[in-house]
Amino acid sequence: MTAPEEGEFKIVFTGPMGAGKTTAIAAISEVEPVRTEVDNSDRENHEKEYTTVGFDFGRITLPGGHPVRLYGTPGQARFRFMWSILGRGAAGVIILLDATRADALEQLDLFVDAFLPLVPPGAIVVGIGRNAEPGAVATDAFATRMEARGLVAPVLTIDAREPRDVRLLVHTLTCILESRVPAGACA
Amino acid sequence: MKRSSAQRVLRDVASKVLQNYRDVVGVQSAVLFSADGFELASYAADEAAAARLAAIGSSLAALGSAISAEAGLDEFERTTIESKSGTVTIMRVGDDGAMSLAVVAGRNAVLGQLLWATQRCSQALAAAVHT
Repeated sequence: MTAPEEGEFKIVFTGPMGAGKTTAIAAISEVEPVRTEVDNSDRENHEKEYTTVGFDFGRITLPGGHPVRLYGTPGQARFRFMWSILGRGAAGVIILLDATRADALEQLDLFVDAFLPLVPPGAIVVGIGRNAEPGAVATDAFATRMEARGLVAPVLTIDAREPRDVRLLVHTLTCILESRVPAGACA
Repeated sequence: MKRSSAQRVLRDVASKVLQNYRDVVGVQSAVLFSADGFELASYAADEAAAARLAAIGSSLAALGSAISAEAGLDEFERTTIESKSGTVTIMRVGDDGAMSLAVVAGRNAVLGQLLWATQRCSQALAAAVHT
């Protein structure tokens, strides 16, 4: 059988270019992740060597034995068509943001707007990277921004290179999903 | 950065090469784009359409590379999306994977002729860009 295992679901990592989506999936995937990174030719806007233009794919097993498929989206808005393709059928979304970007709060709005219609209500977790660096947007501001639009979502500070931090994001999201599924699909 | 002036030269040279599609039956538009989805030159596509084709084309090229690698094949060269009303062909330009070409053709195009013309175009673009 090649059908998805019982209870297997899909989580999408999204957020702007450079927020750490590819890194986060690579940090926790139990299989060699699929990447679609290419040379970044837009160095004026981003000092990044590579950028994802298709998607990332990885897989992890939750402590209860449930496999989870991890998909990462491209971050640049011109790849928006990929967001809806990848968001289809997702159990939830993890939005990663770089707190040192001056437009981090606008980026939060952009990705919430894009994924809110694609995932079940409340299935959003926000991960804030580089929050301790000078000039970073305060972590509280992200939660306040969500509340202002009537949304409640956990906002965690993370380092996308740290497996422990990324697992915590996934765990937080699966707890939200669990609390919504009465039959206890998750251990 | 010299990006803009270098790009203008590339655009002019590549646009001339893409004009050859005028002689290929059924071709509706063509866009040369960078691996990260920026349009570099186009034929018969307005700016907005060229930008969208470039972004989607670069995703397809990247997925082509990913599935080629997964299957243990050599580097991605070409893929053709076929529909009842026409085709879109994505072809790699040059050896470094930095650029690809997307060609949209209608039902009246002859696929063999289209692919041959696109191969020629890709080679001409690679030669023009690397000299």
